[in-house]
Amino acid sequence: MSAAAAVEASSTPRKRFSGLRGVRWRVDLGILPSSPSASIDDLRRVTADTRRRYASLRRRLLIDRHPPKDGDASPDLTVDNPLSQNPDSNWGRFFRNAELRKMVDQDLTRLYPEHHGYFQTPLCQAMLRRILLLWCLQHPEYGYRQGMHELLAPIVYVLHVDLDHLLQVQKPYEDCFNDEFDGITLPENNLFSNYKVKRASDWDSGIETENTHHIMSDSRSLDEIDPDTRDILLLSDCYGAEGELGVILSKKFMEHDAYCMFDNLMDGAQGVVAMASFFSPVVGSSTNLPPVIEASSALYHLLSIVDPFLHAHLVELEVEPQYFALRWLRVLFGREFCLEDLLVIWDEMLSSSNCRLRGDDAEYNFRVLCSPRGAFVAGLAVSMLHYLRSSLLATETTTTCLQRLLNFPQNPDTKKLIEKAKSLQEVALVSNMLPSSSQRDSNKGQFRVSSGYSLPSGSASPVPPLNVLPDGYWEEKWRVLHKDEELGEQSNSDQGSAKKKLAEKLGLYRTKSEPLKVKGALNRSSIRQILFDDVSSDIGTVENHVTTECCEAPINSNNLNVGDFPVVLADQRTSNWIVDETLLSGDNSVVFSKSVCPHGIGNEHEIDSVKSSVTSNSFLSDNDEEAFNMEEPRSQNASNELALDAEATSSRVADAVPEQRATPNHWKSFAGTFQWFWKFGRGSNEASRESQSSSDARHANKDSFDTTTCDGTDNSSGVNKRIEVGDKKMMHALRNLGQSMLENIQVIETVFQQEKGKFDTLDNLSNNILGVKGQSTAIAALKELRKVSNLLQEM
Amino acid sequence: MVLVLAIGDLHIPHRAPDLPAKFKSMLVPGKIQHILCTGNLCIKEVHDYLKSLSPDLHITRGEYDEDVRYPENKTLSIGQFKLGLCHGHQIVPWGDLDSLAMLQRQLDIDILVTGHTHQFKAYKHEGGVIINPGSATGAYSSMTYDVNPSFVLMDIDGLRVVVYVYELIDGEVKVDKIDFKKTATTQSAH
Repeated sequence: MSAAAAVEASSTPRKRFSGLRGVRWRVDLGILPSSPSASIDDLRRVTADTRRRYASLRRRLLIDRHPPKDGDASPDLTVDNPLSQNPDSNWGRFFRNAELRKMVDQDLTRLYPEHHGYFQTPLCQAMLRRILLLWCLQHPEYGYRQGMHELLAPIVYVLHVDLDHLLQVQKPYEDCFNDEFDGITLPENNLFSNYKVKRASDWDSGIETENTHHIMSDSRSLDEIDPDTRDILLLSDCYGAEGELGVILSKKFMEHDAYCMFDNLMDGAQGVVAMASFFSPVVGSSTNLPPVIEASSALYHLLSIVDPFLHAHLVELEVEPQYFALRWLRVLFGREFCLEDLLVIWDEMLSSSNCRLRGDDAEYNFRVLCSPRGAFVAGLAVSMLHYLRSSLLATETTTTCLQRLLNFPQNPDTKKLIEKAKSLQEVALVSNMLPSSSQRDSNKGQFRVSSGYSLPSGSASPVPPLNVLPDGYWEEKWRVLHKDEELGEQSNSDQGSAKKKLAEKLGLYRTKSEPLKVKGALNRSSIRQILFDDVSSDIGTVENHVTTECCEAPINSNNLNVGDFPVVLADQRTSNWIVDETLLSGDNSVVFSKSVCPHGIGNEHEIDSVKSSVTSNSFLSDNDEEAFNMEEPRSQNASNELALDAEATSSRVADAVPEQRATPNHWKSFAGTFQWFWKFGRGSNEASRESQSSSDARHANKDSFDTTTCDGTDNSSGVNKRIEVGDKKMMHALRNLGQSMLENIQVIETVFQQEKGKFDTLDNLSNNILGVKGQSTAIAALKELRKVSNLLQEM
Repeated sequence: MVLVLAIGDLHIPHRAPDLPAKFKSMLVPGKIQHILCTGNLCIKEVHDYLKSLSPDLHITRGEYDEDVRYPENKTLSIGQFKLGLCHGHQIVPWGDLDSLAMLQRQLDIDILVTGHTHQFKAYKHEGGVIINPGSATGAYSSMTYDVNPSFVLMDIDGLRVVVYVYELIDGEVKVDKIDFKKTATTQSAH
């Protein structure tokens, strides 16, 4: 705890009792007076009052169903019998309590099982149960909802930890607090009698060692103790103000304190964020939404300001914020972080005040953002979203996205998250005060430029912030890659080594799965590649669509991405999700070497290295680190094909921009297909959701699986499963595949025709680069495509 | 705190169509832990209905029951009490306290629940408690036509049992309560 105190001292002005979380939180929640001038006695008095209130509440509400026999008038039996339907009867209340109790118990048995040493003990469970029951009885309009116990648990834990700390602190001074006169122990001070008579011989403080007399605890010796310890000792002195009832760190009254803290947390203490409102379906007054829904949309609003790309992606996937935010908000991230991390987060959160920032008359967009605490909660949520950014952008369907969101990684860098959250807190507070969303948009640029926070802090992007801010996350990594790219093309080094270098640079892990024996299976693989040409070309155009908001130059680089796809797809094992990743991480292509690659299209070698880097970069978007080294051998073999593809697709790209409208659908279907495979590999069944055209690509992949031998990796086993499933739809898929291929071929042909006409235009670098040689090769590729499609249609 | 319902002699469908509506509204599932049914239901549908009120249902055979598999007597233990169940047509004279006490000693129980007379009775004697829940539907008996629907709910709590009697008198549900306490020492029958 002293370390924490030291940190506090260095960063912010020292807060009182920073070493004692329980006390700190009580101050933050408003139970204890927060003014620095409040004396220990004041604190004790306030504490005693709150405890009295709880005690009386407990006596009142924990009813005795058997009314006392003497004195009271006998209750009316028609009302007070066990089967009475009357809600006011004692029995009715008893049964309701029994219901509540059952619900609470259900949750409590599952509370923090990993901390079973504390939370699952009967004592603790009984205390938690009582607190929750009493709170629910006190607030019948909310009832008991799952999650309330998780809000209570950290509070109780913190109080418990404080007590431990207190015991530690008191050890050296036990003589002062021990009531053992002449060696006789008085029974009531269990807390202190735990320190038995063993006098501190290792004691080196300035306190006298006279150990028979209690009176030695005079102010003289107390002054010699450092202020923190002295505070703690005075806080827990049984003989201070209000006696035992005022002992602030008290085991006996832990339940009372926990109830108070819980109550304040839930009620919000006249602040803005009242946790209880998150549990109730009652609509708020200003908006017509339940508060938790409103808070979730506040979260998305903040996200849209700070990271519109991710926000757009999530909206596009129809991931409503409350799907995941409900859990995040209701237990204040209790489920996403381990207990220790959570305590740190709550420290931060509770230290932000809950008071409404401006008067009631000021307009606001979201109620929850009106207070710093609410803004911190929203900021933390957005920073968590940003932490998951890459994997979220890689997902293709709602379900996977939600899976990612609901399985927050185990050990995130909490410090960073909190820092980011704090910066976002400012944004949230400011943004909330804007009267309308249109203004918000106009101020967006202002935010970015002025506050200069880019996500994440530390991304060194020289590019103008407006364009790149959403992709700033990737800038760094891609910069590195880009440099390597240039090196790679200049040196004309061996393809494999270039790729290796890139891969290492990016710190990618390459699984040791055996590379596909493409050489041996070149015929099959080439066919496969041709098959996938169309697919990849489509994907490539869609890539353009995705990244259209960014600079133009990157669009060309997308071609190379596309060209890489056949290579990727040729790998039967992980091609599915590999392509998936590449597809969906539009950002990758953006950052990917803005200008160099398009110029070097004619250079096959460069293409390969570029492609490998592209794919390897695409893998960055995915947390998986599977079979990266696939590309290396693959690209060697398929270089020719790749070159053709690259050129073909690059030419297509020229017209891709106008075609973007048509292609996204196509892209989605294909992407969906690959997504399907990827998910299938992970054991989910999303196939039903995909459209017919998706079956094409699926079948195409399936072919590849069938034809090539697979090594026994996990991926391949998943692949085999896919094969079985795909069997059913083979014929139909084949037909569809042929049709799609025809379409693609037609598109390519039109592109070429147009391109011939556009040869003179200078604005399209890719066209110029193609040259005559490129055209011929592209045309040859097209012919092959046609052949294959005919084959398919015959089948 | 265990709630035990003692009910019987419904004679559905022969002598009565159904339980009184007010009784039915009170008997909701989830509150009652055990049901002791003295018998004469008579049909399976009633058995199923009672089963829905509580999973722990005990029935003894009455002379008009259509299911012949119910036992003649039944004993069970709830909390500190031993309870016994019998329809009562076997005990002659019907409803005679001494004869019933003989059965109670025979079964070695603290609380005996019998029926057949269609009259609510609750006796306490030195051996224990004898309860007759009457007829829940108010069906006529071979002895009398003037029968008020009634049943009994026992609240067993440690060594104390509170007997709530629900009677439908003139269309109104009247509730009465009787307290019984068991002496701490267990009694030996023989």
